[in-house]
Amino acid sequence: MTKKVILGISILINLVLAYFLIQGVIDAREELKFEYVEQETLRPDSLRMYLERENYGVAASLSHPIRGGAEIDELDEDYYLLGEYADTLFLKAIFEKSGDTATATACDQRLAEIREKMPAYSELLDKIEESVKKTIRE
Amino acid sequence: MKCKSCGGEIRLTDKTCPYCGRLLTETAGHQAEPEAFQKKSEKSKGGLRKALSDNIPIVISAVVMLLLIVGICVASYISENAYHFREDAMRRESVKKYDEYSVKIQEYLDGGDYTGFSAFKEYHNIAEYEAPYDELNQLWDITKVYTRLVSAVESALIQGPEAKLRDQDSDVFDVQMAISRFYDEFKWNQSKIDADPYKDRMYDMKKKADIILKIYLGMDDAAREAYFEASDAKQKAYLEEVILHD
Repeated sequence: MTKKVILGISILINLVLAYFLIQGVIDAREELKFEYVEQETLRPDSLRMYLERENYGVAASLSHPIRGGAEIDELDEDYYLLGEYADTLFLKAIFEKSGDTATATACDQRLAEIREKMPAYSELLDKIEESVKKTIRE
Repeated sequence: MKCKSCGGEIRLTDKTCPYCGRLLTETAGHQAEPEAFQKKSEKSKGGLRKALSDNIPIVISAVVMLLLIVGICVASYISENAYHFREDAMRRESVKKYDEYSVKIQEYLDGGDYTGFSAFKEYHNIAEYEAPYDELNQLWDITKVYTRLVSAVESALIQGPEAKLRDQDSDVFDVQMAISRFYDEFKWNQSKIDADPYKDRMYDMKKKADIILKIYLGMDDAAREAYFEASDAKQKAYLEEVILHD
């Protein structure tokens, strides 16, 4: 095998390796981006599915991280707000009973804010409200 | 080569050491035929240079190949461990931002909003069990099981009028497990909780857990006591009645 052939083969191998390296760097950059909503517990598709199936409690549970400050993509925000609405109603009843009146009032304000923000969903919000009320036994 | 006397650097054609002046006998052979030696030496050098220049592209290519392989390994390692890198970075950030975060944490605790507190901790990847957050250790543990209780109960109970049925056995099981995890955790760590600076918060959490059982699962104090004394099967039957009836 001549040196030229060896050189040619090694250049070809290098080109293939360079392709894999570029691909690897792109993948690593993607992985390093922190997309909490996409990669952690909040998955827009799951949330949408549970809302469509009227499993509002699961949607409420999935929306917990929003109250920790998670930023939501504008396109998916409505779904998370619907989940948060159910969650806030559920928690408000607990705060009222435990005597955390300031927190219960803050819940009321948040519920009003969500309603104001989502006039198109008022029927669904009523439905969620009814569903939460139905679960309260006293 | 070096002079045996002073160690100075000498050439093969030197007759005396340029440093100490010693007569150099060891180079006598080369001195006898300096021209032949020089020609041979030049030929060797030329051959070496040619061999090197002929192989330089291959050597460079091999070095590039090696670097590419190392680069691919590094990129794969970063990709595989990106989650941990991110987590570590956020944990370090949470320590740096302790002053800012502790104010927010205090707001959640003052409001009795423990699921909010837990969500804040999760989202910001607070460095739990590490200074300066380590004083919250016991509170984190109780908050985890409290949040699980809230999630399990709301997931099982809040359904729309035309809700598609979920796996109800799984709902009942989740609620049963969440209740037992919370109350067991509280009971097993009672002495630690009583000695903890956040004792009041944890008792407040227990009070809220009692309220959840009361208003959402229909267990007043007496019913709750009876529930905990009952067997697993009876607990399950009770929860089935409450959850499936709804």
